[in-house]
Amino acid sequence: MRLFICGFGTVGQGFAEVLESRKAFFEQRYGTQPVIVGIMDSKTYAVDEKGLDPLAMVERKGTTRKVGDREYTDSVKVLDSVDYDLLVEVSPTDIKTGGVGLINITHALETGKDVITVNKGPLALKFQELIALAKANRCKFRFEGSVGGAMPIINLCRENLMGEEIQSVRGILNGTCNFILSKMDKGQPFEQALREAQEMGYAETDPTNDIEGYDTACKVVILANSVFGRNVTFSDVKITGITSITEEAISMAASRNMVIRLIGEVSETALEVSPRLIPKGHPLALTGTLNIAQITTDLAGPVTVSGRGAGRKETASAILSDLISIMDERL
Amino acid sequence: MIVNAELYVRDMPGQLVGSLDPISLVDGNILGVVHNRDKIVNHRICINITFEVEDRDQLCRLKDIWQSKDIVISSLNSVHQTYTMDYLLIGRFDSTFIEHLIGEASKTIQMDASDVRYTSKNDRNSTRTAMISVKAHSTEDIDRLDSFLSSRCGEAGITYVRGL
Repeated sequence: MRLFICGFGTVGQGFAEVLESRKAFFEQRYGTQPVIVGIMDSKTYAVDEKGLDPLAMVERKGTTRKVGDREYTDSVKVLDSVDYDLLVEVSPTDIKTGGVGLINITHALETGKDVITVNKGPLALKFQELIALAKANRCKFRFEGSVGGAMPIINLCRENLMGEEIQSVRGILNGTCNFILSKMDKGQPFEQALREAQEMGYAETDPTNDIEGYDTACKVVILANSVFGRNVTFSDVKITGITSITEEAISMAASRNMVIRLIGEVSETALEVSPRLIPKGHPLALTGTLNIAQITTDLAGPVTVSGRGAGRKETASAILSDLISIMDERL
Repeated sequence: MIVNAELYVRDMPGQLVGSLDPISLVDGNILGVVHNRDKIVNHRICINITFEVEDRDQLCRLKDIWQSKDIVISSLNSVHQTYTMDYLLIGRFDSTFIEHLIGEASKTIQMDASDVRYTSKNDRNSTRTAMISVKAHSTEDIDRLDSFLSSRCGEAGITYVRGL
């Protein structure tokens, strides 16, 4: 299995390291190793038909901030410059246009390559089109890490809970917002909690996507399309962020033994991201940066999963599980 | 509707079943039965039954059947199941706005009770918070109230936070 990695930031590098650390596993399971034949960051690329050394590439990126010597302007030309079987698309999310991720995924599927992505933009904007393209070209297309990072949710619903009628999925799908609201539970004002989240690396310098609920909305769209078979995009989601949540509101909720959490909700009819009042002790009253989802099913009842929603190795673990699923079918 | 009935039946075999059968006859659903053998009046034994019927017509038919079977109906109380929902409203508003909102909602939604608490205005941005706790008759009422509050708060630029 020849892999091309698009995007060599935290997640891309994490995946390269995880791939290296699972060498023995692949050897034992398939008698062969997946080989990285190409890596692209935002400006440069490196390709080698015989395979690139994952750890050397991570080291190079760390020291030079570039993955390769050669610069590019057209990512499609780079993809076409080497023969590969599977694209791992982990470039930064662009919620407005889908960005280079959408271009890369579309091109890979059009040319019959399997794709794994954690890039929410293309999935939130063009989910049905990409699924149709994958089907038409008989490609595998998986995206477990796009929702909840290491927390299994999409494949859990689609594979492990097969046969169940899934009535709703509700959850905390953004660790940054949950960190801020958890800090506010302890009396910190919103602005201070946000600053602390930024200092600790949980929030971006521009936190708009997190605190306005856009990141959660992308995940809600992916769940609606992949689990409920709906045909919705980002603009269909009713979104309310957490910027107007005051200390008074938090304290009034606490006086009734409740907390406020940013909840994404999906069902046959619901498609919403909004702050909600959660009774203390309820699974969704989770504190900290973890993600959690409660899946309501007709036979199994409520199924709750929790895990790290982001992180280098955590997100890479979701990509790894998708890769193994694809290799099980292909090899 | 959920109904709690106190009946007196003759102290003879088969009377308990005889008082329950009519509930099934009118398509009712029995939720609980207490055969109170200690409570005897005029050689009749007390039975407390909680059941669910669709509407008042069904209840009237049931009363007629019981009376035709010589079952004495001592009391018949309807018990409504209530659904509670809490809402937080955050923004620039005064108590008149909230009172008007609740008043308007209660015209179309059956509410058993509503309770409102406010914070004083926030010094920094002049917003305040109101917590509204509502008890309604059905989940449909809660859904209607959700939609009503969501729409009115949206129009007024007020952040609306509801329970799960």
